[in-house]
Amino acid sequence: MRIALLLGPALVVIAALFLGGVGLGLARSFNYMPIIGLDDPNLDAYAWVLTDEDFLLSFVLTFHIAFTSTVISAVLAIGAALVLRHTFVGKKVITFLFQLNLTIPHIVGAVGILYLFSQSGFFARIAYAAGAIERTSDFPALVFDPYAIGIILQYVWKEVPFIGVIVLAVLQSVGQDYEALAQSLGANRWQRFRYVLLPLIMPGVLSASVIVFAFTFGAFEIPFLLGQNHPVALPVLAYRSYTDVDLAARPEAMAMAMVITVMSGLMIYAYVRLSRRYLRAG
Amino acid sequence: MTRLNLHKLTKRYRGKTEPALDDLSLEVESGSLTALLGPSGCGKTTTMKLIAGLLEPTLGDILFDGRSILGVAPERRGAVMVFQNYLLFPYMTVAENVGFGLKMRRVDRATIDRRVAEMLELVRLPGLEDRRPKELSGGQQQRVALARALIVLPKLLLLDEPLSNLDAHLRFEMRDLIRDIQRQMGITTVFVTHDQEEAVVLADKVALIFDGRLQQYDAPTAFYETPVTRRIAAFFGGVNFFQGRRNRKQFDCAIGTFSAPRSAIADQPGILSIRPEDVRLAEAGAANSVAGRIHSHVYVGTHTRLRVSVSGGHEVCVVTDAEVMKTHKPGDPVTLRFPEEKLWVLPPDALVEPTAAHREDTRFGVTKTKGCR
Ligand SMILES: Nc1ncnc2c1ncn2[C@@H]1O[C@H](COP(=O)(O)OP(=O)(O)OP(=O)(O)O)[C@@H](O)[C@H]1O
Ligand SMILES: [Mg+2]
Repeated sequence: MRIALLLGPALVVIAALFLGGVGLGLARSFNYMPIIGLDDPNLDAYAWVLTDEDFLLSFVLTFHIAFTSTVISAVLAIGAALVLRHTFVGKKVITFLFQLNLTIPHIVGAVGILYLFSQSGFFARIAYAAGAIERTSDFPALVFDPYAIGIILQYVWKEVPFIGVIVLAVLQSVGQDYEALAQSLGANRWQRFRYVLLPLIMPGVLSASVIVFAFTFGAFEIPFLLGQNHPVALPVLAYRSYTDVDLAARPEAMAMAMVITVMSGLMIYAYVRLSRRYLRAG
Repeated sequence: MTRLNLHKLTKRYRGKTEPALDDLSLEVESGSLTALLGPSGCGKTTTMKLIAGLLEPTLGDILFDGRSILGVAPERRGAVMVFQNYLLFPYMTVAENVGFGLKMRRVDRATIDRRVAEMLELVRLPGLEDRRPKELSGGQQQRVALARALIVLPKLLLLDEPLSNLDAHLRFEMRDLIRDIQRQMGITTVFVTHDQEEAVVLADKVALIFDGRLQQYDAPTAFYETPVTRRIAAFFGGVNFFQGRRNRKQFDCAIGTFSAPRSAIADQPGILSIRPEDVRLAEAGAANSVAGRIHSHVYVGTHTRLRVSVSGGHEVCVVTDAEVMKTHKPGDPVTLRFPEEKLWVLPPDALVEPTAAHREDTRFGVTKTKGCR
């Protein structure tokens, strides 16, 4: 009760800002904006958005980016945590990386990726200088590429330590005892991972993955910087429509934002449900 | 059925100067129930983990039926450890927990189900297959953990403080259950406890460990009747210790002269000890007796504990009939008889290798009645 009272004011402010923003956006997406004379709400913007080919292409691309980054990050993080957990240094290393990553903005990371991986970047030049490729443009397109490799690289770089720290914490606290117990009951290395460690870390991995997925699905700056021109990721598409000179395009932008929100919510829900079921069936 | 030998086992944790376990040798007979007893931090869990293979010994060897198993991976040793905090897998049902070991051995589903039901029957928890661990009481969790260990028919069952997390009532029940099951299945079992009563009630033999060193390995009665050092006697509730020396057929000590027991070495100093429950109230002038005055008494239901002041400012602790409470008051004079066959002489503390904890005890002086309450 005390806590509720203390937190009250902050919650009210947050709720007002958040709900207010969402509310305004919603109103706009229904083409409702009395100030400029639009006082007849309708679903035109949604109809347009959901039948637009660009939107669907963007959706597929964005899903691909978010899903691939999340899965790769989770797998790498689990692997790294498993390798590092027994070493005292390991924990320090990953914590350091994690903290380092927290303080480096995505933008800086993106610039780094550009510098290193683009066709005029560091690695391309090295390959060229070493005679491995004839022109720097022969370097495989890792940035501005159709598979969004550059974007995924950036996300993986940033999110592996994030998930890793969570996994490592579980492994180093309860994990060791449970693993010892399972071993004494006859579980071999793979079985200990599959039936003991994995289920123990899964709740942590799931919640971290949800955060990563939601973030990568809705983030704007990385695909904006590292993505190709067409199709673009959904947030970029929404931004473009929003900054369109034609004010009438804005309901489409808002509808898009709403669709992004609902879809990422749905996908996260499905992801969590599926993983839980998979774990239980094991 | 497996015979277990620990041979000069030493474990030194990295970064520690004192070994957690120091030169421990022990033979545990096949099919027996042995207690590892000792105060917190003496190395009991370390010993269990070494046997299970979860730790590597620094020195020494571990043998099952005469064969060294140091090269055998823990998962193939067949020494199953039940941890103090049960460690039931929280994401599995009771049945999945119990069946875990068989699943790891790729036993077929039908057999697992049947064996799980049998095991739950054995630990008297039939029908709880579909519960989750968090829906069980502490005692039930403990039994599930036991069933999970027993289902693989281990060569060696290692129980780390199986009773310490249970309340008094459950502890008795669990103690009997463990005893019964162990008898029935004949699995060689080692269990850890820091409670001497638990060790005595359950075990065929007790290994007493202080500071990583084996102090005495004996049948339970020996720790009461023939303890090797004063510290061991004190750990088992001995409180009456009087420094003295044997003079021919007599043993002279601060509170009087008694007929010398066989354990007293001629012309050597020693510590005379008698257990509180062996002291008798007697008529004045009886043989082997001392006169004193009741300092205080405490009624404990089944018996009464007396503190009796005797000559030289010493005190004798006596455990006697509950009735004594009614006939004796503090301040009353009494005569205490020390039956000759109950007297036991211990070596002087100085002859016993002093350890940190030991020095701690002796600071209070030998006649302090630490346990006499
Ligand atoms: N992993 C470890 N690293 C370093 N020292 C340890 C480790 N585990 C135990 N020790 C030390 O070794 C000694 C023996 O520990 P152990 O756990 O075997 O004691 P115990 O007899 O089981 O005690 P308790 O009754 O409290 O469980 C203790 O001094 C403890 O601090
Ligand atoms: Mg312990």
